[in-house]
Amino acid sequence: MALVDAVHDAFVLLLTGDPVLWRIIWISVSTSMFGLILATPLAVGAGYVIAMHQFTGRRLVIWLAQAALSLPTVLIGLLLYLLLSRHGPLGGLQWLFAQPGIVAGQVIIALPVLLAFTLTAVQAADPRLAETAIAHGASRWRVMTTLLYEVRFGVMAAVISGFGRVISEVGCAMMVGGNIAGETRTITTAIALETSKGDFAQGIALGIVLVTIALAMNGALMLLQGDAHAARGRS
Amino acid sequence: MTALLSFGRLHKRHGTHTLFDLRDFTLEPGSAYVLTGVNGAGKSTLLRILAGLVHADVEDVRFDGAPLAFRPYPRALRDAIVYVHQHPVMFSTSVPANIAYGLTARGAPRALIRERVEEAMAWAGVTHLTGSDPATLSGGEKQRVALARARVLRPRVLLLDEPTANLDGEAREQVIALIPTLTGAGTTVVMACHDRDLINLPDVRRLKLRDGHIEYR
Repeated sequence: MALVDAVHDAFVLLLTGDPVLWRIIWISVSTSMFGLILATPLAVGAGYVIAMHQFTGRRLVIWLAQAALSLPTVLIGLLLYLLLSRHGPLGGLQWLFAQPGIVAGQVIIALPVLLAFTLTAVQAADPRLAETAIAHGASRWRVMTTLLYEVRFGVMAAVISGFGRVISEVGCAMMVGGNIAGETRTITTAIALETSKGDFAQGIALGIVLVTIALAMNGALMLLQGDAHAARGRS
Repeated sequence: MTALLSFGRLHKRHGTHTLFDLRDFTLEPGSAYVLTGVNGAGKSTLLRILAGLVHADVEDVRFDGAPLAFRPYPRALRDAIVYVHQHPVMFSTSVPANIAYGLTARGAPRALIRERVEEAMAWAGVTHLTGSDPATLSGGEKQRVALARARVLRPRVLLLDEPTANLDGEAREQVIALIPTLTGAGTTVVMACHDRDLINLPDVRRLKLRDGHIEYR
């Protein structure tokens, strides 16, 4: 019965617009979105360059990017903590236990996901696309925008996957953000805290939000993949 | 007559193997050439070198009689030469946007783009494809759209890689009929092909790649 009551209370919190709960959701979504906005151009640009150009150390870069995909976020949190702590090299920024610190972590976590997806998408593109663009006088920038447009479904899948990864991570946000109520408490850190306190209702409510986000993200991804398959089927 | 584009030497190797080593290779302005040779002779590679898509060792390159550094591929040649694949690929925009691609990429004024695209679509007989999804075009339609996409740029050299390959019947005849109108407009056309009807087109000069050298016929 306790579980049923907790679920009931969770829905009450969600539906009555509990300000504490919705503040946590807002912090999570806004820091994740901001991190993604910062990471996307960097990672997509890097993914494109790595896919399209041969250079010394290319395989090393790809290996590192792929290895970073499976890096525990708590380790990224630790590294960032050391960098941002008062005596660390970036301590002067005062980002530790503040939202910019969480955003920095989200950027680092999202980068390899976005890069790997973009790299795969660009490498899978028909090589005649870039050649046609070049042979018709397109500048390097134009060739890049043309090709990224052609692989847009792959890039959008990268962004969606990146968002899923950053909003669901807990280790980095906990270490760098410090789980300060109203400031750096995110969905995942709040779930960890409330569960440890025995307050399951808020944890379940936040879990419902995370599951809803995950379902929406994956639904969008499936729709995009469906569009991509349909486009390939036509050609 | 001053050659449009000439190479004192054009040498292509794959590792230690020489694919071809051409001496005094020259293209005249407004001429049509068919480039023949057995599979693997290097016909497509030669076209791709001329288009700046593949590297080669070159000496004494001249364009319009003036010496030219070939690497990195010079802007003057990029603006003058257009290459069309054997199986042209369409961008997933629209047919008119595909044809306008090169002009848009070069920052041409919108009115000029519209005028040239309409003219090229009429020339290639693809006006009825205006609203079509480029991905749904047949091989012949794609080839004609690709020719229109190249023609709007008014290239001085047009490189066509097997333009009638895998086309038959009316589609093939439509493409063949377009070729002489290109040279008539002053464009030098170089076609890698095996198609007898293209090889036997009037006023077409024949080049044959054989054993790493070129024979003028």
